[in-house]
Amino acid sequence: MKEKIVDIIAAYKGVDAAEIATDKPFNEIGLDSLDVAELVMQIEDACGVEIDITPELNCIDKLVEYIESK
Amino acid sequence: MLKTKLCELLDIEHPILQGGMAWVADAHLAAAVSNAGGLGIIAAMNANGAQLRQQIHLAKEMTNKPFGVNVMLMSPYVEEAAAVICEEKIPVVTTGAGNPTRFMAAWKEAGCKVIPVVPSAALAKMVERRGAAAVIAEGGESGGHIGELNTMALVPQVCDAVSIPVIAAGGIADGRGLAAALMLGACGVQMGTRFIVADECTAHDNFKEKIIAAKDIDTIVTGKRLGHPCRALKNDFSRKFAEMEYDMSVSNEELEQYGVGALRRAVVDGDLQGGSFLCGECAGLVKERMSCRQIIEDVVNGAQRALGGASQWL
Repeated sequence: MKEKIVDIIAAYKGVDAAEIATDKPFNEIGLDSLDVAELVMQIEDACGVEIDITPELNCIDKLVEYIESK
Repeated sequence: MLKTKLCELLDIEHPILQGGMAWVADAHLAAAVSNAGGLGIIAAMNANGAQLRQQIHLAKEMTNKPFGVNVMLMSPYVEEAAAVICEEKIPVVTTGAGNPTRFMAAWKEAGCKVIPVVPSAALAKMVERRGAAAVIAEGGESGGHIGELNTMALVPQVCDAVSIPVIAAGGIADGRGLAAALMLGACGVQMGTRFIVADECTAHDNFKEKIIAAKDIDTIVTGKRLGHPCRALKNDFSRKFAEMEYDMSVSNEELEQYGVGALRRAVVDGDLQGGSFLCGECAGLVKERMSCRQIIEDVVNGAQRALGGASQWL
């Protein structure tokens, strides 16, 4: 799951997956709230889950944990 | 008669919403717009639950037509406002300054139609998935807090992204704007600036006169450095804000502090030097003070003329 999400985000940013820090807040890896909205739509489509984005879901690791708990 | 699916959805005569402008969009303006066949909207802004409820009751005394409430999602009282909306069974809720998805289930359960203001196609898609009845695609020509995209580019892209009705906002003040919005795929418009000068609007006369006198180049965007750009009329306050923004010896906290209370000073006190007169680029199109009914008739008639005349190009 984590790999899939990192791949989606890396493709969105046009960088290598290895460059994506999964424990850093989205804004620190160059993603603003509108980028996150765009990515959440892509991740929902790819993973078949509904993601209620809240301020607490602020990095990839927390997002993965959230999706896996659903 | 200009009718779109928005009229049926919201039970209104004309496809025109009045923007939820802080300090401006009170019960008086909302009721007048609804009585004139549009959808009036009360701005919850930073009001607490009791203050919002008082405005809702006042509007209910002044109109038996549907009206809405705009929720500013960054308000410290947003939870209270959300609850009051459910209790008062407000038929339409518009939202701004954030992502409203955490409140949408409760509002829908209370029978409210939720219409978020969106600055991008992805956010439009997200709120559609969570049950929004429509979206307001608001371009950066508008007054107050703005996004990056402009109306001409944003509206058709949002229309392509969602299947719910799209309402265009930002830069629309007359019939040509309404006609253009319909051509971009929207099924209605939201106007703010034009309604500030309405007779029924309680904003200070100085604000109204400043809009009437405004030219196309008379607005300025400040606040980008703080992450929330905001469009207002040029005056001492907004020019000074712009200067401070580019002065790196001024901290973000000092900049924020400089803006505190400026909106109230503009709308309530009419402080021409020290107030922040939030206003869209279309202020230069607003040349006359009239009632809400006259404004709506003028916009609808103008749109019908524009749409009727468009066949000459074919």
